Amino acid sequence: MIVVVGLSYRTAPVEVRERLAAGADALPVVLARLAARTELAEVLFLSTCNRVEVFGLVHPATSARGDDRVEAALRAIREELARQAGAGSGDDLAAYLYDKRGDQAIEHVFRVAASLDSMVLGEPQILGQVKDAYEAAVAAGALKGTLSRCVSRAFTVAKRVRTETAIGTGTVSISSVAVDLAGRIFGGLSDHAVLLLGAGEMAEAAARSLGEGASALRICNRSFDRAAALARDLHAAAVPWDGLEAELVQADVVVASTASNAYVVTRDMVRRAMKQRKGRTLFFVDIAVPRNVEPSVHTIDNVYVFNVDDLEQEVARGMKARQSEVGAAEKIVAEELARFLAWTRGLEVQPTVVAMRAKARAVLFSELERSLAGRLKHLADGDRAALEQMLESAVGKLLHTPTTRLKERAADGEDARELAAAVRFLFDLQELGGPPRSEEDPLESESDERLPN
Amino acid sequence: MTLELANLLFGATAAVYFAASVLFVADLLGRAGTLARWAPRLVAIGVPLHAAHIAVWSVVLHVCPVEGIHFALSVAAMLACLTYAVARLRYRVDVVGAFVAPQALAFLLASRFVGPVDYEPRLRSALLPFHVISNLIGIALFTLAFAAAVAYLLQERRLKHKQFAGFEHLPPVDALDRAEHRFLVAGFPLLTIGILTGTIWSREIEAGGTAAIARAALSYASWALIGGVLLLRAAAGWRGRRAAFGTILGFGLTLLVLVIYLVRSLLTAPGGPA
Repeated sequence: MIVVVGLSYRTAPVEVRERLAAGADALPVVLARLAARTELAEVLFLSTCNRVEVFGLVHPATSARGDDRVEAALRAIREELARQAGAGSGDDLAAYLYDKRGDQAIEHVFRVAASLDSMVLGEPQILGQVKDAYEAAVAAGALKGTLSRCVSRAFTVAKRVRTETAIGTGTVSISSVAVDLAGRIFGGLSDHAVLLLGAGEMAEAAARSLGEGASALRICNRSFDRAAALARDLHAAAVPWDGLEAELVQADVVVASTASNAYVVTRDMVRRAMKQRKGRTLFFVDIAVPRNVEPSVHTIDNVYVFNVDDLEQEVARGMKARQSEVGAAEKIVAEELARFLAWTRGLEVQPTVVAMRAKARAVLFSELERSLAGRLKHLADGDRAALEQMLESAVGKLLHTPTTRLKERAADGEDARELAAAVRFLFDLQELGGPPRSEEDPLESESDERLPN
Repeated sequence: MTLELANLLFGATAAVYFAASVLFVADLLGRAGTLARWAPRLVAIGVPLHAAHIAVWSVVLHVCPVEGIHFALSVAAMLACLTYAVARLRYRVDVVGAFVAPQALAFLLASRFVGPVDYEPRLRSALLPFHVISNLIGIALFTLAFAAAVAYLLQERRLKHKQFAGFEHLPPVDALDRAEHRFLVAGFPLLTIGILTGTIWSREIEAGGTAAIARAALSYASWALIGGVLLLRAAAGWRGRRAAFGTILGFGLTLLVLVIYLVRSLLTAPGGPA
């Protein structure tokens, strides 16, 4: 059974999440500790800004009863998470941790990979993060069977959700809306200069998205030293505050985010600048509150001013559009969950199928050997090989129907254990070890099973 | 055989332009999906078909393609499509096809349903081909400038009204403004040649009717308007909305000149009202 224990932005504040987070350096250590737990057959550690989760496959070969095995696996994960957080036990984390098991855990993996459980619905980064976690777990030898298949199936689910729904479309952050608007005005920014008014955190965040790819980035702040310090970080140029009007002639995009209570950019200033610009388009992103750019500037020809309310309005629209796609995305998750569960149920009867075929083969080949040693010993090697081939084929054909029926019954969600027990009783089969990989794995044949790039 | 071939080419060209028009409209409404990328390609496919149709049809009618307004319209539309197909490789003006394709379809159909014009011998002149060809290419370029100006005004209006939804496939305002300017710059010298040759030609044939005077007045007005748009842009920074409105008005005047030609041709065509 697959289980998950973890916490996310929904259950834990950032102070708790950051205690559990494991960077690229720490990840192999954490994975090694988890993989060493005998309660878990497979494990995956997912650590992002918004969630820390451990996915595990309960070890089937312990002597404990089924439910006890699951509880032991959950306990083991909690203990390792507590250790990761530096706490003495899992008790102080208990209020923040959640766990899911079986179908719910699988559904959770699918939803997480498809960004249905993300803070920003439909954001694309989570898929890359799950992929990184998967690769780290594979490299550590912690993923090899059912859980590995479950996570790689989650990639398929995520891919389907992104291509078959519009959950990843639209802009859902202030900076991405500003970049999108710059695109609608100028196309690319490679031939355009960006001017930053203010040198605070908001200005820096905006500059990182808008300044990226611009032909030049200049920073204008009342405190020149602060502008110079930020300019060094961003590989930009600092300009003095009293040169603001001259800068308006050079810049194409102006991001305003000063703490000024009065308008920093007035209509008259922009009119004068536009004359010198010979009408070249000028775009203001005013993310300051109170606003830095006089609103009537927007009415000047070839000048566009978007303030924080305008941008947030678009963010809300993007979020609403994505929200409307959730139903379709959840439907895909449900379809894929049903398929995966059918496959895992098929695995439950696999040991019986393998034992049945082994038994039939053993009996027939033993009889063949006896005959070849006695009455048929005159046969040439070619004839003997033909007889062996015939028996192999007969075993396959004879057991094809019972094998298919058993798997179908299991895949349909019906309890196939009784039927499997009947087969074992009728053929006097011994219980074999863990389920081998299915030869007729319905998920195996799909071309989209590979990891997304 | 030639007539059948002309009909076949006519049908194929019309079908291609029609499909392109439908896809452009669907794309503007955000409903074309990945099929949208076929719209400009269909315009490009339509150009050789259209050119072949003009060539074969002129053989059928024994008429020079640059003589007679019915053919001239068709040639102008074909040239507009050709310029568009080349321009879109360099500039982000795919959306301009939303005007060019339906216009090409309309002019193609018009060329078929307006009767041929038999030029009076007194109207024939060595200047005629220069006059018509420069005007046709000029009109083709102004058509593209007009389409870019309309797209500019749509996009600019959305930005000024802070409307984020709808017409999301329109190119950036800056790209449209630059494209419109370039088409005007390319078309203006041709319009100038057209007007100069037209002036000399009308003197040669001593044209002086009301239609000829109106046509000449409109031609001079459109030349002055488009020249003014270009001059003010260079000298006083008249870009964006003002330039777009000037372009639309200038194109409207040149179109009026064509309408006068067309109406006069219809009235004087054999079998038409005298």
